[in-house]
Order: sequence, then structure tokens, then C-alpha cells
Amino acid sequence: MKHFNIYILFIALFMGSFSFAQQTPGSKQTKPIAIVGATAHIGNGQVIENSVIVFENGKITSVNTTNTNTPGMTVIDAKGKHVYPGFIAANSALGLVEVDAVRASDDQDEVGFMIPHVRSLIAYNTESKVVESMRPNGVLMAQVSPKGGRISGTSSIVQLDAWNWEDAAIKTDDAIHLNWPSAFSRGRWWLGEPAGLKPNKDYAEQINEVTAFINDSKAYLKGDKKPINLPFEAMQGLYNGKQKLFVHVNDEKGITDAIYFAKDNNIEQLVIVGGAEAHKVTDLLKQYNVPVLINNPHSLPANDDQDYDMPYKLAKQMHDAGVLIGIQVGNAENFQTRNLPFYAGTCAAYGMDKEDALKLITSNNAKILGIDAFVGTLEVGKDATLFISEGDALDMRTNILTEAFIQGRQISLESHQTELWRRYSEKYKNQ
Amino acid sequence: MVDSDDINIYRNLAGGVTTIQILHGSANPIGGRSAIIKLKWGESAQNLIFPDSPKFIKFALGENVKQSNWGDYSRSRFPQTRMGVEQVYTDYFSRAKEYETLKKSGKPYRKDLEMETLVEILNKERFISCHSYVQSEINMLMEVAERFNFNINTFTHILEGYKVADKMKEHGVGASTFSDWWAYKYEVNDAIPYNAAILHNQGIVTAINSDDAEMSRRLNQEAAKAIKYGAISEEDAWKMVTLNPAKLLHIDNRVGSVKVGKDADMVLWNGHPMSIYTKAEKTLIEGAVYFDIERDKQNRETMKREKNELTTMMLQAKNEGLKTKPVVKKVDEHFHCDTI
Repeated sequence: MKHFNIYILFIALFMGSFSFAQQTPGSKQTKPIAIVGATAHIGNGQVIENSVIVFENGKITSVNTTNTNTPGMTVIDAKGKHVYPGFIAANSALGLVEVDAVRASDDQDEVGFMIPHVRSLIAYNTESKVVESMRPNGVLMAQVSPKGGRISGTSSIVQLDAWNWEDAAIKTDDAIHLNWPSAFSRGRWWLGEPAGLKPNKDYAEQINEVTAFINDSKAYLKGDKKPINLPFEAMQGLYNGKQKLFVHVNDEKGITDAIYFAKDNNIEQLVIVGGAEAHKVTDLLKQYNVPVLINNPHSLPANDDQDYDMPYKLAKQMHDAGVLIGIQVGNAENFQTRNLPFYAGTCAAYGMDKEDALKLITSNNAKILGIDAFVGTLEVGKDATLFISEGDALDMRTNILTEAFIQGRQISLESHQTELWRRYSEKYKNQ
Repeated sequence: MVDSDDINIYRNLAGGVTTIQILHGSANPIGGRSAIIKLKWGESAQNLIFPDSPKFIKFALGENVKQSNWGDYSRSRFPQTRMGVEQVYTDYFSRAKEYETLKKSGKPYRKDLEMETLVEILNKERFISCHSYVQSEINMLMEVAERFNFNINTFTHILEGYKVADKMKEHGVGASTFSDWWAYKYEVNDAIPYNAAILHNQGIVTAINSDDAEMSRRLNQEAAKAIKYGAISEEDAWKMVTLNPAKLLHIDNRVGSVKVGKDADMVLWNGHPMSIYTKAEKTLIEGAVYFDIERDKQNRETMKREKNELTTMMLQAKNEGLKTKPVVKKVDEHFHCDTI
């Protein structure tokens, strides 16, 4: 057995990288680790130059500027580098789909129209090659959301270095996802109607269907619950405040209606996902304390007459109006979730303060997802889920990670892609 | 076909883009002719065409031409496999050679526009841009081209180009690739964001391409990814969206760098052009300002006023009892290389 291990080690060294298909999850933190000398971006707006960050048993134990070197501590010299809390991708499809065009690899969208009982977590593939490609860019946690239908199902939040979905989960069944009825519908061209968009005449009826589902589920939950109705059972978390309702909606009218809908139905924790026109209803959003996960800003304006930079500057407008906002990734392709830091960078380019823009993918997303008690910033007591970058992690040129940790465990920054890179760079070197 | 008033031309100007090659979809191994245009927004389509630009044609390989993702009803058109694709090329170019021999012989022949275009390729009068993904098909097309004594000019997307950079170098073909796209089809399983860096390091003329109006307005950032993935120098990364694509399009005598005698197609950036924090302030084509960030601000005000006036007029008309019609929302279809 010993010889076998040495042999494996030899192969690994020879290849210049770990040669397994997927990266092996990092092992439990056994010794205190201190990151010394870096510029620490705390994630709450604060920056500490020449910082010392210590973590032990997976939790941050100290964040300051003086070195308290204790015996047995591993010290990482990070002078000139930058430390960030792990970025959090909201409303992702990570681990649910591997190759978009290959149906067998796609578990995002279950059959059924109102299926809150369908849970994303159990389908989350920890060994996805797409998931491991997130980590070299600093994306270390993600909400994994089901798609499709009216009520798509229930999401969960995971960290991206795990053996299976059980140890990946950092918040199980956090929210139920509702796709708000569209204000416009397409003409049925096959029946000779014009193919363009026209007002959806079934809009009110479609909202009533959801209301009826809610009323039915409430009546069920108050009764003797016989026979067992799984979709109704799954709605309980919305009424006892344990789960959030994520409403996916972009237009002004839809957002307004969704806010009153939640209020009328006594759903306390509402989050708007998308919100392309949320800047038109900031007063209402503030009045009811509703946060918005805005679309990834690398999108085209919704209409021809919108400003060319509308998707870029939406964050600044919402922030200035005092609405709690984060960035969601559901409107981009799955693999592009790794560009999350650059979405925040774009919001900074179009008016936001850089540290405020950083919050959009750290502390704000943590608050909106309900995980801010233990992740989202570099503060004492929180999970040591963080990374070190050569430079500014919101800019493509300098987002170059040297070390990353999830719950204090040092994780691999290799991937299927870095392995191919090394392999083929070697190929030409040896020719 | 080009809508020279398309708002996306303006949005691209606002992202510092001045010249583009526009290609249709990738449904067929041998596609149609492409155009090189300058983004002179608002001028006639004819005026957008790059003057005396070289002739190009689009080829395509992979899942799109073999209809892999078209559903269960698209299983009968030849080719359905990469094996078939080779035979399509061999067949067409064999026929083109025969056609040319007949034409040159002085005997009567039936004029065939398809064959005329392929003969231009055989005679090196028309360049090929080929949509490409995996190494086997890339090598196949280079081999077919060599058999018929012509060259592939550019492999576009070329996501496994990094595996065959040595062969590409030998063939003399250039590369125009995505910065970091992958995982959307089976054939991009081995696509890596280090592709541009490896190709560049092996001496291939490498450009970064987009596939849509959204990404093409952030080409400066897409180029910056070559610095992150593969540690390319800033100057070399910048060339991937300036001089290198100009070389691949054979228009580098006119555009692609700031040089005495070249067209004054320039962008004034408010910072390092590859920084995420930088914006284009002015975009010039042949010395004329087509985008100006200050003018854009003024136009916003003008448009807001105009929109208010129109809305007021419409409301007045409605209140006076004039006929109204329901709202119709305009939607543009956006074409990608997968669009059928």
C-alpha cells in the first residue's frame, strides 16, 4: 500500500498537477492560519491595509493589523496582495446542469406548474466540472435554484468544495421560487395572430391561480392534512417565516403587484429576482423593505430607448435610493457564473464605490439569502471562507487567486481546465 | 440585410468597437459570404461596408452542421456525423475543380454561382472563416484544404485550437476565439479559457471574438481575460481585439493600430482600456465622432422630453375620444451562430 501511495505521488508530481478528474475536497483545518500583510476587503465597506487575518477550526478568530504569531500557526505572507470574503452567487444553476445542450446532464427544470416540494439540493452535483471552475475566480458559495413553471421548487445554498450535497449545504431549503406572470404574451402565430408581444390578457387570472394555491395550502396546513399533499406541505416555511419567497420578475407593474401580493398573503420575506425596472419603484421597495437581486449587468438594455448603460448603472441607482441589492446570475449561462466578480466591477465602473460594489456579491448577497450570520464578510466568528488574490479581484487583469479557503479548509484552485492548460503547454515545450 | 439603424450598433460604438465582421449562422459546412462593416451608425447600409474589403466565406464544423441539437426530427440530412462533413467538403471541392476545368476548356458549361464561389477559394481569391470546435475536425479541414491546395484563413471559436496549435502554425491559419465560453454543448467540454494564451504563445495570430451584440460591446474586457488566464502581456492581449483581428481580416493596412496613414478609427478611453473600471468616452470612425459620452447625456434629455410630449399628445387624443389601439411591445430577434 505504501508503495502504491508513493507511486501515485510520483505520477502527480510528474504531471505537474493533481491528475484526478475532479478536485479532491480540502481536509479539515487542523492548525491556526494567519494571512499577513494583505489589503483586506472586509465586505462591509471597510478596507484594512497591511492586515492580519487569523482563522482557527474553520472560523475567523481575529482581524486586525498586528501580528499575533502563536506557536504552531501557519503564516501566509500576502504582502501586496488582497484578501476577500468568498463571493456568493445568487440564483445559480450550478451543479444542476453540466452541458446545456445535453439533456441527460440537465436537472434544472422539473415537470409541473406549482411544485414547491421539488428540492434542488438533492440534485446538486458536487463533482461538476463547471462548479470547480468557479473557485479560481473567487466564487466559493452559491444558491442553487430550480427553474421553470410558476412555482419552480425550493433552492438551497452550498459551498463549492464538498464530497456530496450533504456536506456542501450551508443553508438547506432556503427559499421557494415563483416566476411572476408576464405582463406581455406572444401572439399565437400558428393561429394567424401577429407574433409580437401584446398585453397578457390572462395576467390577473394567472395571479389568481397562485393566490388560490396559497389559500388552498393554508387551509390544508390548518386542517388534518389528510391525504398528505406534498406541494402544500412544502409551502409551510413561507407562512412561518422560515423560508423566503423569491419572485422572479423584471417589469415595473409586475414588481409592484408582487409586493402587494406578498403583503396580502402575509408572506414576510420577499426577494425580487431580476428587477430590470426596479429603479422605477424604489420607494415601494423601501417602504416594504424588499431587497432586489438585480440581473447580471452584462446584459443588453431591455428596450431600444433605454440608455446604453442602463444594465450597468442600475445597481448605482438602486443603491443611492437605499434599496438593499445584490447580483443574481440566473439570466446568464451557467458557466458564466464565474464572471460574478466582474459583474460587481462593472457596477463600480458605472458609479458605485468599489467597496459598495463588492458588497453586491458578498455581504449584501449574504443578507438577502439569509446567511449573513456566518458568511459574507471577513469578521470574527464567521466562516473562514475567503481567498487571496494577486490584485483587485473585481478586475479581470488582476483577479488571480493564490490561495482559497472554505470553512478554513485550503481548497484546490485546479480544475479540468487548468489541467488541460498544463498538459498542452507541456506538449509544446517538449516538442 | 444589415439594419444600419440597429441600436446595437450604437451600443457597440459606446463600447469602443469600430469595425466588425458579420457572419451568418453555422447550420451548413459551406455557408454564405460574410461582410466587413464599419459601425457608421445611421448611414445607409451600403456606406457601412468596409471599402475594398477582401472577400470572405463562412464555413462551419461540429454539432451545428451535423444537427446534433436540433431534436429527434432532424436525423436525416447529410451530414449527421463529422465523418460526413469531410465528404461534403471533398465532394464540393472535387466538383468545383471539375467545373473550373470545364469552364476553362471553352466547352459550353452551365453557370453555377455556388461553384463560382468555391472556385474563388481554390484560386485563393476568397478567404475562409470557419466555425470550429474539436481537434479532429480542425485537423480534417486543414488536411482537405491542403489536398485541394488552398488555405483556411481563420478558425473562429476554435475552442480546441490549443490542442493543435502546432498543426495550425504549419498550415498558416489564424485563430479567433471566445475568451472563456464553454459547457454549453458537448463539443465544448474541453474548451479552456487558456486557449488564446496557448495559441498566441505558439505564434498563431490570435483574436478574441464575440458571438452576440452584448459581448461585442465589451471586447476590451474579453481581451483582458487573456491576462488572467495564461498571463499574456497587456500589449499582446490588447492586440487580440485590435491589430490581430485586422490582420486576420487582411485590413491591417487600414485599421488595427494608431499609425500615420491609417484610418482615424480611434477610441478615447477614460482609463486603462482593459480595466473593468474604464469607459469609452469618444469613438471615432475615419475622423468622425460616432459616439460621444457627453452628447449621449444631452440626447437622453432630448429623448425624455420628446417621449413626454408624445405621451401627452396621445393622452389628449384619447381623452378627445379618438380611436386607440392596444399596446404592442417591439422585440428584436438576436442572431447568434447557433441561430437556425
